[in-house]
Amino acid sequence: MGDKKDVWQGTLALMVLKTLEALGPLHGYGIARRIEQTRGDLLSVNYGTLYPALLKLEQEGYIASEWGVSDNNRKAKYYKLTRAGGKQLEREARDWQQTTAILARFLASKERA
Amino acid sequence: MKRIHSWWTRLRGLFRKEQLDRELDAEMASHLEMHIADNLRAGMTQEAARRDALLKLGGVEQTKESVRDRRGILFLETLLQDFRYALRSLVKNRGLSFVAIFALALGIGATTVMFSAVYNVFFDPLPYKNFSRYVVFRIQNLANVGGWKGRDFFSLEEVRAFREQNHVFEDVVVHNGYRLLYDNGKYIHHWPRGEEVTTNTFEFLGVPPLLGRTFSEEDSRPAAPPVFIMNYRLWQSEFAGDPKILNTVFILDGKPRTLVGIMPQRFNFFGASFWLPMSDSNATGSVVGRLKPGVSFATAGADLNAIAHQLQKENPQGIFPDKFSIVPETLLDSFIGGFRKTLYALLAAVLLLLLIACSNVANLLLLRATVREREIVMRATLGASRLRLIRQLLAESFVLAAVASVAGCVLAYFALKGVVALIPEGTLPEEVLIRMNVPVLFAALGLTLLTTVLSGLAPALHIMSGDLQSRLTSSGKNIEGNVRHGKLRSSLVIGEVALSIVLLISAGLLMRSFFILTHADFGFDPQNVLYFRLALPKAYNTNIDVTREKKNALTRQVLARMQGLPGVTTVSESMLEPPLRYDWSDTIIPGKPHTERWETRFEVCSEGYFQILGLPLLHGRLFSEDDVNANRHVMVVNERFSRQYFPNEEPIGHKVKLEVLDRPFLDAPHDTYFEIVGIVPDYKTLGDDGRSWRAFPQTFIPYSVQGFSHRTYMARTFADPKVLLKNIQQEVRAIDPSVEIETSGTLTASLHEFYRRPQFELFTLGSFAFIGLVLVVVGIFGVMAYTVSRQTHEIGIRVALGAQRRDILSMVFVKSLGIIAAGVAIGLLASYESSRFLASEVSGVSISDPSTYGVVSFIVVAVGLLACYLPARRATRVDPMIALRYE
Repeated sequence: MGDKKDVWQGTLALMVLKTLEALGPLHGYGIARRIEQTRGDLLSVNYGTLYPALLKLEQEGYIASEWGVSDNNRKAKYYKLTRAGGKQLEREARDWQQTTAILARFLASKERA
Repeated sequence: MKRIHSWWTRLRGLFRKEQLDRELDAEMASHLEMHIADNLRAGMTQEAARRDALLKLGGVEQTKESVRDRRGILFLETLLQDFRYALRSLVKNRGLSFVAIFALALGIGATTVMFSAVYNVFFDPLPYKNFSRYVVFRIQNLANVGGWKGRDFFSLEEVRAFREQNHVFEDVVVHNGYRLLYDNGKYIHHWPRGEEVTTNTFEFLGVPPLLGRTFSEEDSRPAAPPVFIMNYRLWQSEFAGDPKILNTVFILDGKPRTLVGIMPQRFNFFGASFWLPMSDSNATGSVVGRLKPGVSFATAGADLNAIAHQLQKENPQGIFPDKFSIVPETLLDSFIGGFRKTLYALLAAVLLLLLIACSNVANLLLLRATVREREIVMRATLGASRLRLIRQLLAESFVLAAVASVAGCVLAYFALKGVVALIPEGTLPEEVLIRMNVPVLFAALGLTLLTTVLSGLAPALHIMSGDLQSRLTSSGKNIEGNVRHGKLRSSLVIGEVALSIVLLISAGLLMRSFFILTHADFGFDPQNVLYFRLALPKAYNTNIDVTREKKNALTRQVLARMQGLPGVTTVSESMLEPPLRYDWSDTIIPGKPHTERWETRFEVCSEGYFQILGLPLLHGRLFSEDDVNANRHVMVVNERFSRQYFPNEEPIGHKVKLEVLDRPFLDAPHDTYFEIVGIVPDYKTLGDDGRSWRAFPQTFIPYSVQGFSHRTYMARTFADPKVLLKNIQQEVRAIDPSVEIETSGTLTASLHEFYRRPQFELFTLGSFAFIGLVLVVVGIFGVMAYTVSRQTHEIGIRVALGAQRRDILSMVFVKSLGIIAAGVAIGLLASYESSRFLASEVSGVSISDPSTYGVVSFIVVAVGLLACYLPARRATRVDPMIALRYE
């Protein structure tokens, strides 16, 4: 059970970093909506799970947060990518692509056999 | 790096909890607001919008919880919680916690004190380079007859031979006591004893001077300007630590000498207050050698033995006994001697005490754990993880141990000061500094921690094992686990009782021995006797023929003037003052050969000696002033002498020789027989063990026949001894201004000084024993109180069925008596075995003294039963109605 959760947390973290890279500083709600929109209903998860992930990324220094004002004049906590976060995203994305490529090849070869 | 950063922010998270909580609340609120606003825009009703937002979030509280978990360090946070809880529960059980902390603190404190003392005395006593390899040695007479047992003073040839022919020493120093007169311009007086030392001494010891320099080889050359070095104490006492006196000239023994160095405080080689250089080529005195690395003691002894025996062969006039051997000793042993055994005995005692303290705490914690079993089972049932529960119990033990450790350190700090103050002066060389030893302190703390944690863990593990459900339903009473705990507790108490018996019996033996020592009847009255010794200038020691007459004349005058002083009843002159100091000799009586040494204590004294000690004449006559003035060879002996050497015979008229007077270097009548003229009763002097008073065969001869002895004067007085001493000083100066009083005191004061060592042992061991007894009382009280509270139900039924108060009392007392009796029995057996180690500390009382054993057993049983009184009384107050409902 723990393992699955870790995988999920890993992907979620990657998605957060990618979102922040694409859209710039954003609040938690915005990130959640964005992730939901892009992945469709493939993985329907509570928005709540996003917040521990954000805290973890912040603790690791990949993102930074500060309080700001949203488009509708609401106070909200904005997260933005740090330089270390940018590098981390690059690395993670590369790893992820490699992993999926290897897995795809592996699965394909298995079908042939 | 990333990890450190993460831990750091998380650690900070622990301490900014409230602020972070507020921020999280705000973030959640803004999230929901935005979501609701979006939903409203999408056309939902207010209520549906809110519901959907909450649902999507997955619950505000759950989200917050999961963020909070991530925020701090969960482990640390719960640990803090554990400690908070532990503190709270310890405060709640104030009495029990206090007792446990008290017991542990005493254990830690006492152990640290004793270990520090032992460490400083045996492992770090002297500030000298490689001091553990220093060896001193003496010639030991192996024959049982003859006047002397040994010597450690070596002549010129002997020193040279030892120095040049040995194969075992890296280096050798020679030292020799030296007394000198200091002329400060106003008056002349003696400095405390100093030493002549070979010039390599300071390099040998490896201690740099505090000021100035130490000796170099040039200083011992005949043409070299005379120099000397001073010790710290003399510098402080006589010159108030004035550094300007360095390199100034002092008039010592009438000649100028330059002070070239002052040694640091912790340098006191052989207790000297100053040092003069001695040239290697004419070094005489005692020898200290530093063993080459790896050379054993036995090898050194054999090597020196061979040299000494060769010397004896080459040099038949030298002073060697017929049969002898060289006995080497470490420098430290030669300083400390018998105190080593004392310290080891005290160390053993303190370990017993620590054991009692630890088992007491174990007991109390077990007790508490059992009482709390239901609570723990309940918590486990409600979902607390086992690990968490164990951690909780360990935290409690740890807090307990930590508080006790702090208290123990404080206790040790003060107790150590007390102990140091109690160690009699002269028992340890002045270089020994007894300080709190940090490694030792940590060892004691570690031990305590271990005990506490182990005794905390045992119940934790026990509770955790097995079926919780059955525990809960069985209401935690009378189940197998409790019985097992009960047995463990009882055996702990039995052990405590036994250990405390051992301690108490040791203390009891010391106490009896001390009482006997201090309440002895010497056979004379030591009260109101002043004594002093005169330091004679060189003029009295130059020419043997002049010496004796000069000394005798001085003695006659001093005695006459003393007698004339107000407040003085009788006066006497003797070699030494009884009962602590004495000299002895082998005894030679014509027609009575013997193979064992006939040890006789002898005194060379004035006729007044018998009066001052109040020794009545039993038979014959005492020697008179006339005998003394005419140097007659007459002798008075005591009853024991008469009984031992002249059984069934009339000793008066027989001739006796004291073998010691034959020594060639003594100014004494050689090969002279003294005629016994009278018999006096026995009086007691210090025994060979140094711990008891005994009557020995004793003889008295007139002081005037010899010139070698100390001149000790005594005066029985009804005036203040201090005032009297001043008057005497004036009188002595009037006779000869160069003579002065060297040592002085009263007989009772020197006895009190002498009692300080056994007093120290008694006090230390006595405190350990007392503390042990207190801990045992607490232990017994704890177990009985617990037992009674567990048996409330049973007692209630008994009372309901008609049991009387007496029956209930006896029920409680019988159980405790069983435990105490078992402990006492084991303790008595153990004491019987272990008190052998005390044999050297105890005298005048058998180490298996039945009355001590009896009294101690009685005390322990009585105190133990007293400890059960409160629990027993509570048992009799049990109200059956309440007890039966109290399920």
